[in-house]
Amino acid sequence: MKSNEAMLSSAIEPPLRNILDFGMDTISLAGTLPAKLAAVREAGFSQIMLSARDVVGHPDGFEAAVMAVRNSGLRVTGFQVLRDFEGLSGNLHQYKLDVAKSMLEMCHSLGAKVLLVCSSTSTHASDDADKIAADLRKLAMLALPLGIRVAYEGLSWGRIINEFTAAWDVVLRAGASNLGIGIDSYHILATKTSLEDLDFFDPQKIFLVQLADFMWQEVRTAEERMATARHFRVFPGEGVHSDALADLVIRLDRIGYRGDYSFEVFNDDYQQMPVATVAERARRSAIWLGEDVLSRAVPLPDQIRLRRGELS
Amino acid sequence: MTQLTHRELSEETSNPIGMDGIEFIEYSTAKPQALGLVLEMMGFHPIARHRSREVLLYRQGEMNVIVNAHAQRQPRAAELTESPVIAAIAVRVHDAAAAYRYTIDRGAWPVTTHVEVMELNIPAIHGVGTSRIYFVDRYRDFSIYDIDFVLNPGVGAHPPALTQLHWFGVVQYIGDQRTAEWSEFYSELFGFTVLPDEQRYGILPKGRILQSPCRSFYLQLIEPKPGIFEVDPDETLQRLGLGTPDVLATVGALKQRGVGFVESQGVHPGTRGALTQAYMGSVMFELVHHEKQ
Repeated sequence: MKSNEAMLSSAIEPPLRNILDFGMDTISLAGTLPAKLAAVREAGFSQIMLSARDVVGHPDGFEAAVMAVRNSGLRVTGFQVLRDFEGLSGNLHQYKLDVAKSMLEMCHSLGAKVLLVCSSTSTHASDDADKIAADLRKLAMLALPLGIRVAYEGLSWGRIINEFTAAWDVVLRAGASNLGIGIDSYHILATKTSLEDLDFFDPQKIFLVQLADFMWQEVRTAEERMATARHFRVFPGEGVHSDALADLVIRLDRIGYRGDYSFEVFNDDYQQMPVATVAERARRSAIWLGEDVLSRAVPLPDQIRLRRGELS
Repeated sequence: MTQLTHRELSEETSNPIGMDGIEFIEYSTAKPQALGLVLEMMGFHPIARHRSREVLLYRQGEMNVIVNAHAQRQPRAAELTESPVIAAIAVRVHDAAAAYRYTIDRGAWPVTTHVEVMELNIPAIHGVGTSRIYFVDRYRDFSIYDIDFVLNPGVGAHPPALTQLHWFGVVQYIGDQRTAEWSEFYSELFGFTVLPDEQRYGILPKGRILQSPCRSFYLQLIEPKPGIFEVDPDETLQRLGLGTPDVLATVGALKQRGVGFVESQGVHPGTRGALTQAYMGSVMFELVHHEKQ
């Protein structure tokens, strides 16, 4: 029998919605890490993607940030972002290895199982596919004992790898179990990459999907893509590419992708709005995707859903 | 550059660091004396102690066991606990510095070592959990123990093994669905190969068995039992496997020395193998029918 307190709380809670597949990203919200965690939790999300900047920026330091995350009740979707890692040599390679190790150690402390790595924009990086693959394989090996999987994402302004299909080829070439791809809808929409190839992807090698829309129909140049990506993204359903986003999510679901979707929404306006308001927009987006697009069943009250990693 | 023969080339690629067996296994514990008693029950003899640290060497036949009670305040190092943990596997290699570089170049994590004056610096990388993998190349003409250890008075340095016991391998507990990843760790860095499923040893035929590139010992990777719901189980080196040509004779000899064995419906001593009871909460040994090569 339920306690009075539990009855009271279920009486005032809004109806359950199926947004378990979706999570917010700390980069979408203004303020401190604890405020972000609380807002995401209060909006009904069960998971959060952590940005290294948000974590190390905790006023009481990294250890306090780890405690805040672990006590938040939120599962960590992943940790971002390692940039310009692959293809370097000599001192630059060693320097980036140190950065990578530091990020992996943070990732491990936070209980994050996925490290997001963006394809290199560096003019110092080699364009040799074997070298790129070898570096990613080495990174995957560093991540392996820590139980971390590496999601490699093709930035739409990446110098060599700038489409998810190219990222996929490199990941296959590297051939490491804990190396897969991260898909970011923004970059696919920006480069207008066909989704046809997705049907041939092994869903087990897609380690993370990030979703965002934007307000322009086209972003032609790399500079335009970068500026839009960093300042003008909106939540899925809020922009002008809703149909394409729905198509992407349905295709991923159809090939058997059952991993996480995170809202990677960089938006300057959202940075000057109350976190609860922004989180509510994210919640509406998640309900649209979960219930309307993916037609996920609405959970019954008290239904427990355990999924791999759900309680970690 | 000299032309490599086919044989040399194949040895180089299949055994890239020139691995040549296990030099020692290291336990760490805050109860070294109690662990020493367990090891002596298993047929090991206390041979020597470290010059400057609370570290003891036990030996029987070719098997060396280090008991380390010296607290290390290093990141990702095993904390000293009463229940001993297997803290390191030291492997013999052709050239320790080269082996260290080879593994680091492929993504191993280096262990920062803190040696005292005149002590040997044994290069190491991080292994599973808090464990380390050491590389030792001084094992032929003189040993690492000649420098850092002082022999216990009145003991022979090379006591024979009880009933021809020898290293069979180490059992590693891993997380759910981590078999492929850990297999890659050992194959990429050292050249371990996966043993076919039909080639099994011992009485606990589960998990995946990897054979060392020198073909002298094995690692067994075991995932949690299906259906057991445990979030993030600790990954660890769980127990040592000891090979013996005659399991039942070894069981008899060890029982006389006071060793207890697991005798349940599923697991009990047989000609293929046996499992000792757990001592000090964590120390157990698996006997495996195996002829030393």
